[in-house]
Amino acid sequence: MSVITTENLTKIYNSGTTAVTALDHVNFQVQPEEFVAVMGPSGCGKSTLLHLVGGLDHPTAGQVRINGNLLTDLDDDSLTELRRRQIGFIFQFYNLIPVLSAVENAALPLMLDGMKPIEAHDRAIEWLSRFDLADRLQNRPDQLSGGQQQRVAIARALVAEPSLILADEPTGNLDTRASDEIAGLLRQVTKEWGRTVVMVTHDPRIAAYADRILFLKDGRIVDDTLLEAKNGSSYEAVTAKLKEIGD
Amino acid sequence: MSVRNALLGLLAQRPFYGYELLAALDGIAGGHDGWAINPGQIYATLERLEKSGLIAEQPANGSAPEKTTYTATVAGRQELAEWLSAPVQTNLQRDEFYIKLMLALSLEGTDPYRVIQIQRASLYQELHAVTTHRDSLDLPSGLAQKLLFDKAVMHLEADLRWLEMIETRLDDVKRQPVQQVEMRPRGRPPKSARGAKSPPQTDKP
Amino acid sequence: MNFQLTLALRYLNGRKLRALLTTLAIVFGVLVVFGMNTIIPAMMQSFQANVLAASGQVDASISLKTGDVFPVDELARVASVPGVRALTGLLDRTVNLQPNYFDHDSAAPDSVSALSVVGLDPIEVRNVHSYNIVAGRFLEENDTNAAVISQSLADNIGVGLGSDLKLPTAIGEQTLNIIGILPARAMPGNEEIYVTLSQAQGMFGMPEKINTIDANLDSLDNARRLEIQSAIQTALGSEYQIGALSSNSELLTNLQVGQTIFNVLGIMGLLMGGFIIFNTFRTVVAERRRDIGMLRALGASRKSIFYIILIEGLVQGVFGTAIGMAAGYGFSVLVLKLMGPALQTFINVQLGMPVVTLPIILASIGLGVGITLLAGLIPAVSASRVTPLEALRPTVGKLNFRRLAGLGFWAGVTMIALAVAALLTRNAGFIGAGGLLFIIGLILIAPALVSPIAALFGGLASLIFTRQGTAHLAQGNLSRQPARAAVTASATMIGLAILVTAASIITSASIGFERVLRKSLGSDYLLIPPSIGVWGSNVGSNPDFARELRAVAGVAVVSSLRFAPAQVNDLPISLMGIEPGVYGQVSGLTFSSGDESTAYAALKISRSIIVNPVLATSVGAKVGDLVDMLTPNGVKPYKVVAIGGDYLNAKIATGYVSQADIAADFGRTEDVLLQLNLTPTVDRDTAESAIKTVISRYPQYRLISGQGYIDENMQIFDVAFAAMYAVLLFLAVPSLIAMLNTLAIGVIERTREIGMLRAVGATRKQVRVIIVTEAIILAAIGTAFGLLAGLFLGYTTVETLHLAGFPMEYAFPAIGVVVTIAAGLLFGVLAAIIPARQAARLDVVQALHYE
Repeated sequence: MSVITTENLTKIYNSGTTAVTALDHVNFQVQPEEFVAVMGPSGCGKSTLLHLVGGLDHPTAGQVRINGNLLTDLDDDSLTELRRRQIGFIFQFYNLIPVLSAVENAALPLMLDGMKPIEAHDRAIEWLSRFDLADRLQNRPDQLSGGQQQRVAIARALVAEPSLILADEPTGNLDTRASDEIAGLLRQVTKEWGRTVVMVTHDPRIAAYADRILFLKDGRIVDDTLLEAKNGSSYEAVTAKLKEIGD
Repeated sequence: MSVRNALLGLLAQRPFYGYELLAALDGIAGGHDGWAINPGQIYATLERLEKSGLIAEQPANGSAPEKTTYTATVAGRQELAEWLSAPVQTNLQRDEFYIKLMLALSLEGTDPYRVIQIQRASLYQELHAVTTHRDSLDLPSGLAQKLLFDKAVMHLEADLRWLEMIETRLDDVKRQPVQQVEMRPRGRPPKSARGAKSPPQTDKP
Repeated sequence: MNFQLTLALRYLNGRKLRALLTTLAIVFGVLVVFGMNTIIPAMMQSFQANVLAASGQVDASISLKTGDVFPVDELARVASVPGVRALTGLLDRTVNLQPNYFDHDSAAPDSVSALSVVGLDPIEVRNVHSYNIVAGRFLEENDTNAAVISQSLADNIGVGLGSDLKLPTAIGEQTLNIIGILPARAMPGNEEIYVTLSQAQGMFGMPEKINTIDANLDSLDNARRLEIQSAIQTALGSEYQIGALSSNSELLTNLQVGQTIFNVLGIMGLLMGGFIIFNTFRTVVAERRRDIGMLRALGASRKSIFYIILIEGLVQGVFGTAIGMAAGYGFSVLVLKLMGPALQTFINVQLGMPVVTLPIILASIGLGVGITLLAGLIPAVSASRVTPLEALRPTVGKLNFRRLAGLGFWAGVTMIALAVAALLTRNAGFIGAGGLLFIIGLILIAPALVSPIAALFGGLASLIFTRQGTAHLAQGNLSRQPARAAVTASATMIGLAILVTAASIITSASIGFERVLRKSLGSDYLLIPPSIGVWGSNVGSNPDFARELRAVAGVAVVSSLRFAPAQVNDLPISLMGIEPGVYGQVSGLTFSSGDESTAYAALKISRSIIVNPVLATSVGAKVGDLVDMLTPNGVKPYKVVAIGGDYLNAKIATGYVSQADIAADFGRTEDVLLQLNLTPTVDRDTAESAIKTVISRYPQYRLISGQGYIDENMQIFDVAFAAMYAVLLFLAVPSLIAMLNTLAIGVIERTREIGMLRAVGATRKQVRVIIVTEAIILAAIGTAFGLLAGLFLGYTTVETLHLAGFPMEYAFPAIGVVVTIAAGLLFGVLAAIIPARQAARLDVVQALHYE
């Protein structure tokens, strides 16, 4: 079963007299363990797509299914619960709670779900340790670098074991090195931990970490590219490229 | 890449014999993942260098009398110094995709967007492959390769951004008279523009 | 829950200063409410202890509801009730003493300022009470001028067994011989002097009268006891009460007036606190939109968000209330300690410790926590409505403000128009409601007026700070956030409006009272008892004293006041007996309905009454009405002939009747206050010394010249005036906190902007000036509005009180206005100090990166 299925997903913003169509009959599916990047010029509707898929916003028309659940059917409470258990979010500005430590931030979704603090913290520590943050557990966000904060945010997104991770410009606020690190981590999330990741980005370098890129333009999907070359191994492609630039 | 200058650089460090040079060059260029350098090319280049008086054969001593050992001459070292101090020229003007796109713009029944799309997909696939491969390398043993892969990543990134830019401006370009574009001279700039001191371009391997 | 609490605590911990200030606001309100409500009961308890201690431990203590005396015959009626085992009649009077009565030393504090004289039947009383004599003997039936006192009293005034003790009485100073000593008194309350019943009746001029019946019942079963009690009640009639005495009800009224005033102040303080919390939480929610949105995105339900904000409020409410109660208790102890000596002289109550009762604890907690919760409610709801999208696009949410503000503006204008219209109706109720409408209206129109007013004051400020070129920036900051600026300015406005209102009332009251004072105490000399206004506890004199005074050469007129406690329509009142023909010559009532000459003339007709405005308002009596007067001889109808009052009884429900009536219906012939005029030609000194000779036999009186008395009173008034201002300034402190809060938040929100200013070359000083200017403009707006609201409210309140019969006339509170303007601007600067420092210290690089 697809993790995400959309049917004619449409979103129109009404601001006063003018109506802006942010998404225009968008149809696509995302399979389990896929790492999908969503790209396109600014204002193409890529963030809107992410919001609708994450149940943060309601479509004007069309439908979204997450693991078979029709989001448009759910009331606010059920939607909240679905977000809590099946979706993890990663934001551009990390959005960590400034007054909570790394562990407490990472444990947040579990706490919200009513888990006992000790257990929730244990799970959070487990994830943070995987992300090389074992020695930063008690630090507050302002004592962490951008990359570290984003790693805490990824731990937070994963701690409730959701099947789907949605990332909105996760490297938008980071330097190249930290960006690579985070993108690699997201790839690991799909390859090693079997999650599905949908990431909005405008950075080709980061998008290239994905398995598949959806190109959006004016609210429509204009291209859907699989990045694993269909014919020929990637190895050959690499060496060929190196020769070319070596001229 | 300039095999000639690479050999000169190695021989300026210490005397090498032919096979040793091949191994050392592989070490710098990233082994078989990098350039595939054939031994014949090495020996041909060594011959030319010796003729130009930039390297000299060193008398064989002891253990391996059958192998010819070379070392850099004073002129050779001078040439090397000049090379190191001069910038490496790039040739950005020659671009096949550019030609393809311009033709697609003027040819009836061809969708330039499709041309861009295909090129973009391909570039992304390459970038994906390079990135994946680069990240699988171990530090520090793969450092040399890693740096070269980084270059590849950045070039591909630049190409992709360029495509992005073309795509956003495509409608403007379409409205321009196409003949102008077709008439534009292309190819390398004249040699004089590169400066007298620059070394002659070696042939493709 | 656990998790929300953690988060709430962390957030509070993260903004310590703000949490502290917000909590302080609650502490303030609870302090006043809790403090006042423990002080006043402490006074009442001490007072009641006096009375109860006199009656000792008995099963039933029976008295008239008015606390007045009644005939001894009533004993028989109680005795006839089945179940009454034993009973005794007592005559118990508090005797207030002039300062230095025993020690004759004005430097040393008086250890005894009031005593209870208890007249008892030496035989019968032993059936009900036991007296454990430690020296000498107990009273016997035919003892005269004999007294039994406690060891502690004896030590205090330096007497012993066999010594003589002098006491002021209605028939002149009496000398009692001490024949027995009781153990030292352990309970609070006045020391007692036991004499025989007939002795007491003679001393107070109340033959055959008692005021208390103590009875023991023959059952220990509670139901049975209640049955017997109700049987006694039936036998005696409804004018009697069984249980605690509530005599001297005018004292209770006095205390209750005070308690009410302070409760109003306390609740105002709490409301201010609530307002501040509301303000703080609104900004907290605005500040944390992104955090909240993120929590929602992560799967926090609306309910959890709601509780996070509410719990944060609750934590502050609980802390504030707890600290407030502790501080209130401390405050109460302090006040009782400080007031003790003064109160002992004025109303003869020995103060104990603050009385903390369960209801007041519950009420304080309810008010403190309740108001906090209420104030947090709307922000919590709005927080729960934050959509998860805010986490990604944090700028949404300011929509529709303009339309709302427009709506509020017109609603506000309508309210103000209604308030002014209400003023024209001259109906007390409408005017009062109009005052409230006016304030709400001002708050509503404030957002629309912030920009123009800010522009006005900004122009002024830019004249002052021309060289910095920063004033317009500060002004711009305010205009950009008119709603928040308005909320802050409103807090200041309310604080200062209270100040101006009070100033108006005090100024007007002061002028009004002075006029009444001159009128009602216009005689050449006054002979006043130790306690003014608490007539029942004063020992007066029998008519002989007035006769002796009249006989003094040079005395033209002597007028006296007699007192009896009474009830009109179940309302305890003070009844003053005057001589209709004479009273007007030395003194006078100020009439609000009816005129002087006809009123006094009408009073000569039996059972006529002049009611004072408080009484008229309380029972709704008009001229010509009949009111039901509860007398010791049952309910009698009295006809209202005029409405008017004097200074001394201005606060207490009081009726004036002829001395003939008070003697007939209440059996009172005791003069409690005398006023006299001299003939114009007489030598004052000679006359004064002659009067003093007469007075020496009646040491309960103090001779004072009329002018001297007025001066003394005006002085007291001035002190009260100043004290009142101090209390009000105290109340205005929360508005300071509110401003501080808003400014601090403004700085936090504009961190990036300030960083930019600094980066392009603004000096630390310039940044400071911007913040301070902003604060001053904000304060100026609040002050302007506060003045407007306060003057309006002051005027309406004075008018309302005037219509209700208080002797006051509107006077413009010039000093109050000056104090308010000074306080308002001072607050503006004070509130800006911390945020301005904060802003100036910002690290430029960090500020620019502030997200």
